Amino acid sequence: MTHRPLPGMHFNCTTAHALAGQRLILGLLCSGLIACSPESEGPQTAALNQTYPAQPGGTMISAMPSDPSGMIGMVAGESASLAIGANLFNSLLKYDQHLDLAGELAAAWQVADDKKTITFKLKPGLQWADGKPLTSADVLFTWQLITDEKTHSPYASDYQLVTKAEAPDAQTFIVHYSQPFAPALESWASLQVLPKHKLAGQDIHTTNFAQKPLSSHYYQLKEWRHGEYIKLEKNPKSVLGPANIDQLIERIIPDPAAQFLELMADNIDSMTLDPITYARIIPSRPALQARLNQYKELGNSYTYLGFNLKRKPFDDVRVRKAINYAIDKQEIIDGVYLGLGIAIASPYKPGTRWSNPHLTPYPFDPAKAKQLLAEAGYTDTNGDGIIERNGKPLSFEVLTNLGNKQREKTAVIIQRRLKEVGIDTRIRTLEWASLLTNFIKPGDFDAVVMGWGLGLDPDQYSIWHSSQQGPGQFNFIGYNNPAVDQLLEQGRLEFDPQKRMQIYHDFAKRLYDDSPLVYLSAGYGLTAIHKRVQGIMHPVPPAGVSYDSQKWYIPEPLRRTQIQAE
Amino acid sequence: MQKLLQNPLAVTGLCLIGIILLLALLAPWIAPYDPDAVQVKQILIGPSAEHWMGTDGLGRDVWSRMLFGGRVSLLVGLVAVGISTAIGVILGALAGYYRGWVDTVIMRLVDIMLSIPSFFLILAVIAFLSPSITNVMIVIGLTSWMSVTRLVRAEFLSLTQREFVAASTALGAQDWRVIFKHCLPNSLTPVLVSVVLGIASAVLLESGLSFLGLGVQPPQASWGNILTDGKEYIQFAWWLSLYPGLAILITVLGYNLLGEGLRDVFDPRSNTTR
Repeated sequence: MTHRPLPGMHFNCTTAHALAGQRLILGLLCSGLIACSPESEGPQTAALNQTYPAQPGGTMISAMPSDPSGMIGMVAGESASLAIGANLFNSLLKYDQHLDLAGELAAAWQVADDKKTITFKLKPGLQWADGKPLTSADVLFTWQLITDEKTHSPYASDYQLVTKAEAPDAQTFIVHYSQPFAPALESWASLQVLPKHKLAGQDIHTTNFAQKPLSSHYYQLKEWRHGEYIKLEKNPKSVLGPANIDQLIERIIPDPAAQFLELMADNIDSMTLDPITYARIIPSRPALQARLNQYKELGNSYTYLGFNLKRKPFDDVRVRKAINYAIDKQEIIDGVYLGLGIAIASPYKPGTRWSNPHLTPYPFDPAKAKQLLAEAGYTDTNGDGIIERNGKPLSFEVLTNLGNKQREKTAVIIQRRLKEVGIDTRIRTLEWASLLTNFIKPGDFDAVVMGWGLGLDPDQYSIWHSSQQGPGQFNFIGYNNPAVDQLLEQGRLEFDPQKRMQIYHDFAKRLYDDSPLVYLSAGYGLTAIHKRVQGIMHPVPPAGVSYDSQKWYIPEPLRRTQIQAE
Repeated sequence: MQKLLQNPLAVTGLCLIGIILLLALLAPWIAPYDPDAVQVKQILIGPSAEHWMGTDGLGRDVWSRMLFGGRVSLLVGLVAVGISTAIGVILGALAGYYRGWVDTVIMRLVDIMLSIPSFFLILAVIAFLSPSITNVMIVIGLTSWMSVTRLVRAEFLSLTQREFVAASTALGAQDWRVIFKHCLPNSLTPVLVSVVLGIASAVLLESGLSFLGLGVQPPQASWGNILTDGKEYIQFAWWLSLYPGLAILITVLGYNLLGEGLRDVFDPRSNTTR
């Protein structure tokens, strides 16, 4: 369990289904049998609704969709590594339950009056799990590592703005910026501090530290069977005091349907749900529902249809707007997310201060779309139902990642709606890695259905600034608007929350007018946790259900009978 | 033909295939709905009078999609087998007629192709090219000609020893004439059986590929990708998995029965034992 928002922006791929073609028939039979067998009400059903006092011990088992590539998330840059890393490593700062910054390793921090220098004071007596002291030298070392060109960290750019970092004594860490940088504190809340005495002088890409890390946080790695499970056990020397649950097991189960079977069989305690499971399948099984707590929280991410702005016809704002009007977002939310989504008009989580309340999502208005297309010179001259300009039909290819059923369905609905206004689209689904490497990075695509996972800071420089269009950088759609560039630069310099809010509201308005992509839906994060896990904060705080998960506990009578199949 | 109609296996197979073919051919006229019409208000409704086979995750009518999906599956089966048979017959004829190094080269090629698990080869090739019906048909065709080659070669090896072939060669007939006029017509019987069985396995392959998302691309329906959609909802929308599964089963069974029937009818040895 992580209670830390993932650092900065990341490509959001979500589930990729495992391919088990040859076992298809067998698989169908097995799940059929399980579905038919009556679900016996466990003797614990009544006990589950009782509240017990907090007590240490027990094992919690969760499902994870993919095996992390290593334990150093800041280098790997993918969500599985970051999630596991969040149990092992601390940051200088963290977000509290109301998403305000609080100290984690740092006891106090101070931003100088000119906003260019930040001084962190570490808590006294910090130590790594092996008993060695954790000092500002470790923080300095981590900063050097992340900003090192040879490390190729996808998060380097924020930390490279630091012109000078120093650790004058074991408790003090000072960073200097050449100009004020508003997202600085957020960046120090997402830097996972690594032990210098283990990593100094090693090649970060080949070190076995990535497989056998030394931790400072609540848990430490006990066992990692690649592709099977990761076992974490309580770190008695945790810098924040011990957690309640003794052992966390992350089972790696790529197929959501298989995860759900394990949840039904009570082999896992928690998993992330898709809308169908949340809204239809679990409610249809009262016995299962009785032993689960289900959580629904608006995530900091959204799905979009993005255009390659460097290609025709997407360089014409009228075409982009027409497509925006031609797509019925509510239909996608109802059809694909079963209503578990929200239409948005700015690239921020709805309801937060950064989301511009004066903008409303583009309405579904095919007549307006047709009118805009006609203004742009597109009409159906040959009567084939597809509009064209100068004899060239308006036709393009929509790419999305294979195995993400929700995006595939979204693409199908979009295709259908665009056809109604005379736009021909082809859908192509590609394996995630291939989509990124062969199409997104070289900029070889017409349009994509993808998602953005966002950080808590409103700074979206890396997604929208015209300087961020290099291969592998996040502005792969080629958005270039000098006014937006200026707002993004301003936003990074401004520390006053009110003024910052105004800047990002203006920024959202510009995006809205330019329509460089069609916001489809901000989705909910859906989680199921077995009721044997108690102490979960209620109501769910803004920081999310897994906030303060070290306080969760599994009361003795509710624990699984431990039969270890070793 | 008479014998074929007396063979119960073949007749059952013919009937099953006939029904499926007829439904697929008539799809545009008998499908009650547009197979791609999304109805978000009617997601995952069970079979009813309105939707005989229920609706899928986007509210599309499964019966209509099954009918149109059948066209794709059968088309892929026929074209793929057409390609593999053409290649197989030509290579087999060359190997069997000319023997020597031609035979060696072709048969080693067959051995090489047979040593690669074809499903994985197809997966790799399709992933490399882009998935589409055309590519699926071509790739299946290009990877399943080996058994036809072996059959035709064996037939040719024995036919070229016969007197009538020797006679036509002695009369000065050119090679192509001997191959196409004399040998080929006499070696087609086992090929026919293998064509029919080949269609069955091509239909199965296409479904497998579409199931893995590497076959027919959305929104076009095929039995394989209806089944994939079904996998997601198998916990409560059984109709999405059952019907395409049954359709694949019936089609493959039909072709296999017909193939077995044909073999019984044409095989002189099985006739004598009867």
